[in-house]
Amino acid sequence: MHNSSRSIALISLFAALIAVFGLIPKIDLPLGVPITLQTLGVMLAGCLLGPQRALQALALFLAAVALGLPLLSGGRGGLGVFFAPASGYLMGWPIGAFITGWVMAMLPTTSPRSAAISAFIASAVGGLLVVHMLGVVGLVHIANLSWEQALMGTLVFVPGDLIKCALCATVVHTVARGLPDWRFGG
Amino acid sequence: MGSLYSEQHTWLHAVPASVKLACLALLGTGLFLTDQLHTLLVTCVCCIAILISLGKAAANTKPFLIGLAFACGLIAGFHLYMQHPTLAAITVLRLVSTSLMGVMLTLTTRYSDLLHVFERLLSPLTYMGISSKQLALQLALMMRFTEHFFVLWRRLDDAHRLRTGKSGGFKILAPLTIQMLVAAHRVADALHLRLRR
Repeated sequence: MHNSSRSIALISLFAALIAVFGLIPKIDLPLGVPITLQTLGVMLAGCLLGPQRALQALALFLAAVALGLPLLSGGRGGLGVFFAPASGYLMGWPIGAFITGWVMAMLPTTSPRSAAISAFIASAVGGLLVVHMLGVVGLVHIANLSWEQALMGTLVFVPGDLIKCALCATVVHTVARGLPDWRFGG
Repeated sequence: MGSLYSEQHTWLHAVPASVKLACLALLGTGLFLTDQLHTLLVTCVCCIAILISLGKAAANTKPFLIGLAFACGLIAGFHLYMQHPTLAAITVLRLVSTSLMGVMLTLTTRYSDLLHVFERLLSPLTYMGISSKQLALQLALMMRFTEHFFVLWRRLDDAHRLRTGKSGGFKILAPLTIQMLVAAHRVADALHLRLRR
């Protein structure tokens, strides 16, 4: 199978998977913090596609959002969301996916167990740390919050995102068992 | 997959997509460069007036506006608590103006028209070997498969419910991902035959 067709298919289908995650109802934590699955999509894209394809899948998804498709959780979309306080997180998705893929490519994936552990580490670095870092930058610049306020605000979402890292590791473990030929990290 | 575009025709629908996009880019950048309260206030009032002038077409934006009001209230609360009322006003006015401009563009511009503008903007990239046509193909594929995978998710959820009596929740994530990856292979085969690459 030629690489270009495979890339087009994987990038489009992963962008579609992230869109589907936005359609699945969110889960509310006891503190009222919602867990939406779309950041899990960012982590999975990085772990399963590798850095470049993951970046492209997220860029494609965000392009579709910018074009007005209601693909973000809660049916949000359009250019308005890129000016909202949380836009730093949105812009962090492609970069977070890239870093996740890059870290995943550096870590061992020889067995399902090692792939799952690597996926947890990679998604914690790219999907959690990088996305939250850029989210904080967005909050500071768009909402004019201080760094301390923005950090406090983002910390509330960390427990939910750690659950997503564990979920990502579980999915990667299943994929490693179900599709043994799959090349993690691209 | 439906867009947030409103079929209810308004005066803003008649303005070309490229003009609206250019206005958004220029005004959006300008708003982030200025700290003058009166300039931001005038722009914000203008944006609200334009949104109101769209009439019933703007009804679709209600959920977004509620979310925006909540975010603005939260941010203003933070700044007022820190004794920075001017900063609160500047931030909220800037946020409301830029968000409303983005919403109005989406509301009054067809997806295909925006895609056409993006394709034209990206066309210089063809000299670097990047095809803007590929973007259109990937968007079409993505939209086609969003619905397909959502149906698949519901089918897996129903199957899980039949077996266990409970909703599948996160447990069906892994089978969904595997089915998606298998589907990607099939789609890549079909694309290879059609595109010859």
